[in-house]
Amino acid sequence: MKNYFAGIILVIYFGLLGYLYLGLGHGDAYPAKPITIIVHSKPGSAIDYMARKVSEIARKYSKAPFVVENRSGTQGLVAMKHVLDNKADGYTLLGVTKSFLSTVMVNKSKVKLDDFLFVANMVSDPEAIISNENRGFNSIEDIIVDSKQEQKQVWIGPGTGSRDHLMAIKSWEVLGIDASWIDYKSGPQSILALLRDESAVYVGNPADIKGKTGLKIISIASDNRLSSLPDIPTFKEQGYDLSESMWRGFAFKKGVPDEAVEYVTKILQEVVVDEEWKTYCDETNVFSNFEKHLEFTQRIEQEVEETNYYLNKAGLLATYQEQGQIPILFMFILIISIVFLLILAFNKFIIKKINYDQIIAGGIISISLFFYYQTILFSIPENSDVTNPALIPRIWIIVLLLLSIFLIFKSRNKSYEHPNFMPGRVVIIIAFLIVYLISMQWIGYFFTTPVFILSTTYLLLYRKPAFMIINAFGFVIFSYFIFNKLLHIDLPLGWLFI
Amino acid sequence: MGILNDLWLGLQEFGHFLPIMMMFIGVIVGIMVGVLPGLSPSIGVALMLPVTYGLDPISALVLLVSVYLASNYGGSITAIAINTPGTPGAVATTFDGYELTKQGKPLHALITSLTASTIGGLVGTIILILFSVPLASLALSFESYEYFALGVFGLTIISSLAGKSPLKGFISSGIGLLLITVGFDTQLPFSRFSMGIPDLADGIEFIPALIGLFALGEIFFSIEKGDDKKVEKAAKVDLSNTLPLKQLFKLKTLILKSSVIGTLVGCIPGAGGTIATFIAYDNAKNSSKNPEKFGKGSLEGVAAPEAANNGSVGGALVPLLTLGIPGSASTAVLIGALMIHKLNPGPELFNKEPGLVYGIFISLFFANIFMFFVGLAGNKLWIKIIAAPKSLLYPLILALSFIGSYFIQNSVFDVGICIAFGILGWLLKRGDFPTAPVILGLILGKMIEENLRLSLIKGDWIDFFTRPGSLIILILALVSFFLPHIKRKLKKNN
Repeated sequence: MKNYFAGIILVIYFGLLGYLYLGLGHGDAYPAKPITIIVHSKPGSAIDYMARKVSEIARKYSKAPFVVENRSGTQGLVAMKHVLDNKADGYTLLGVTKSFLSTVMVNKSKVKLDDFLFVANMVSDPEAIISNENRGFNSIEDIIVDSKQEQKQVWIGPGTGSRDHLMAIKSWEVLGIDASWIDYKSGPQSILALLRDESAVYVGNPADIKGKTGLKIISIASDNRLSSLPDIPTFKEQGYDLSESMWRGFAFKKGVPDEAVEYVTKILQEVVVDEEWKTYCDETNVFSNFEKHLEFTQRIEQEVEETNYYLNKAGLLATYQEQGQIPILFMFILIISIVFLLILAFNKFIIKKINYDQIIAGGIISISLFFYYQTILFSIPENSDVTNPALIPRIWIIVLLLLSIFLIFKSRNKSYEHPNFMPGRVVIIIAFLIVYLISMQWIGYFFTTPVFILSTTYLLLYRKPAFMIINAFGFVIFSYFIFNKLLHIDLPLGWLFI
Repeated sequence: MGILNDLWLGLQEFGHFLPIMMMFIGVIVGIMVGVLPGLSPSIGVALMLPVTYGLDPISALVLLVSVYLASNYGGSITAIAINTPGTPGAVATTFDGYELTKQGKPLHALITSLTASTIGGLVGTIILILFSVPLASLALSFESYEYFALGVFGLTIISSLAGKSPLKGFISSGIGLLLITVGFDTQLPFSRFSMGIPDLADGIEFIPALIGLFALGEIFFSIEKGDDKKVEKAAKVDLSNTLPLKQLFKLKTLILKSSVIGTLVGCIPGAGGTIATFIAYDNAKNSSKNPEKFGKGSLEGVAAPEAANNGSVGGALVPLLTLGIPGSASTAVLIGALMIHKLNPGPELFNKEPGLVYGIFISLFFANIFMFFVGLAGNKLWIKIIAAPKSLLYPLILALSFIGSYFIQNSVFDVGICIAFGILGWLLKRGDFPTAPVILGLILGKMIEENLRLSLIKGDWIDFFTRPGSLIILILALVSFFLPHIKRKLKKNN
């Protein structure tokens, strides 16, 4: 019975492998398979919503579907790096926003804007300045008058070096205001602060305050009024030459075939004239602003200079220090050796052997000192009023150091021995895990997982072949259906085969 | 009666085939999301978001809210069964839940957790319906000063988590606090301690660290001790040994109190259900007649965090629906869903679409009840899994932990983080260092630092003590820190 069942499981498993891998062959005509749109933020964000809307509308016009995939992290660098790691075959499209300009500059990363071919811009989402109704501001003039009062005016929004922050600096320059920027980290926390009337101005996009009461958009930084918000004036109408918009579009990795660029451009062109697209733009208070490759690229070139200027003004470019890797590693080894020599020296006076608590405490002391060494390298921008980035880490480090030293003293009379401990098998299992991790990237989840499960089970001294097979292969089949089919998470197929 | 009228409107909105169907699907998917390590409620809700594009607004929201609710319960199942919190909110459930499993009483823990979750969810929903407007002003009154104080309060809970050696507990929490400073500075766009590794620039992803510390750490430790062989024989779980209702009934005040704690903390944007579970656990221990049983398989220790965790769901919906501000990562996704369906979260929604808002409330109510029965049916399955030989089970948990860590950001680096924290958890465990404080440090570190520095930019140190909100919380923190020690002293003297 159980052998029979194990046989069925194996048949299903190999059927699944065939289904997954035999279908991978590429046709000649582009597009032969779905085009993935990589989005740098979590589902539900503005760019995610746009990408999903495009994918939905494109279904009417495109032979191949557009599929959205979220890869968030490091302000977009994770998504950018992912696209660059993929082949430039025209099947991986990146959702790009203006915030990427600052991301690349501030992080001094190896990813460059030049690595991308900007296919098309889709929308432009005007920046706006928003106040609490309690302040009684009705126009830019009111804000300027208010800023001349004694207390320094406070402007808030999410992020330092973000587009909202740069918009604030730009506004101060154009309006002649001397104000300070407080970074509330997230959009929601900034809006909460605005609802509490903690600041004169919030910088963001009109969509940020949809459905909320008590808030008022003073002005938007676009050339024309939004058709969905006809009562909101622009800066230009009030006599200030200020325009600043967040754009969102798409890019490929450089080197993609021309036919892919042409094809995607054609589809996107059809999307932006669709009725559904117009409703989308109105709902989210953005302008539809389709720009093809050349126009889009020119825009970005201009904006890079401008962004550079304002980032400098905010003091965010000059202060960055490149940290070398080798001296840091050297420091770490040095610290570890010194700490453990000290513990040994300490023990010589009291007992002979070092015990486990002391090893842990020594490790913690070494790591703490290593972290402390790194805090010395921190630097803060001169003209900003932020607190020292090293403050909190140093507090934790000092607490850890004191506690660990105390533990070394306290446990000096303990012996190391633990009964029945055999770390050998654990070390082997950790090695298995690392091999599993590395090989999974190369040959994929579906080949490596049964091997890993079978070998670990064997290591744990289980010896019934039929159950081992049901367990290992059954799990792979189960996880395929749960993840790929039900939750739509694609388990990795391996670099070698894609 | 305005509320009754609105509830009637809501019932009309909800009482159709599709929304009810979506509630069923949502609860089942939610429990599954909760059970799978790595799939937190917010990821579960986000995964379901694309599915809702084709649905009408009420069905879409009912689906998402049900997933959110049920995944908060589902996380406790693996926490109890295999010491792997399926969701961050289930960390506190492992302390006593897994102990009970080790004592051969997993069903006691599972049923207690299910009951507490259900009641917590119901209480949260009722509070949401009746008091969302006054609670909104509580959510609004929380400034950086109060968040900082809340973070400090959270840290004091370590003294009740630490077990045998408070010193080791504090060292553990220090490790968590220090490690969470890796990544972007809270005020400047520079990365700290990332040592030039691009994947570290954004810091340590929380969920892989959590899975590593708990699931991997526990497996490594019990393999080293040779537990896998021992348990194989003793794993036969007595199914008839179910929990007498009387014992459960005794927990009623605790469950109600914890549910309210969960709802209140849940409605503070950014504080979240996980902190609520720790506060509830700490509170239960401090007010218990048998505090010494905590951490050794106390039913109270299972009931309190679970009630708080599911209570926080109703709480998190308060700022979402009244202010348009997401109270948690999951509700942030719900905002996206509302916008996609052309609805603007915030006070307007109550006025314009009362049927929809109250329809969601009513669906939450029924989802809780449905979840209870699905949970009861599921318990038989979990028991079977617990009774499986460890040498078959451990490899599967390891593989699941891998997938769980991987697909949060489709990142292999995160899997590495999971292994690294697994090793850390193992090393700590063999030296009797508790691992839960590490998690507490990871959760609270960012909140403390961000809000301390924000407060210092806005004002001065003195503001923490002149603002009534932060002062009260700081005093509570002091009390919570010293109370267990004072109690212990008093007991000794007696």
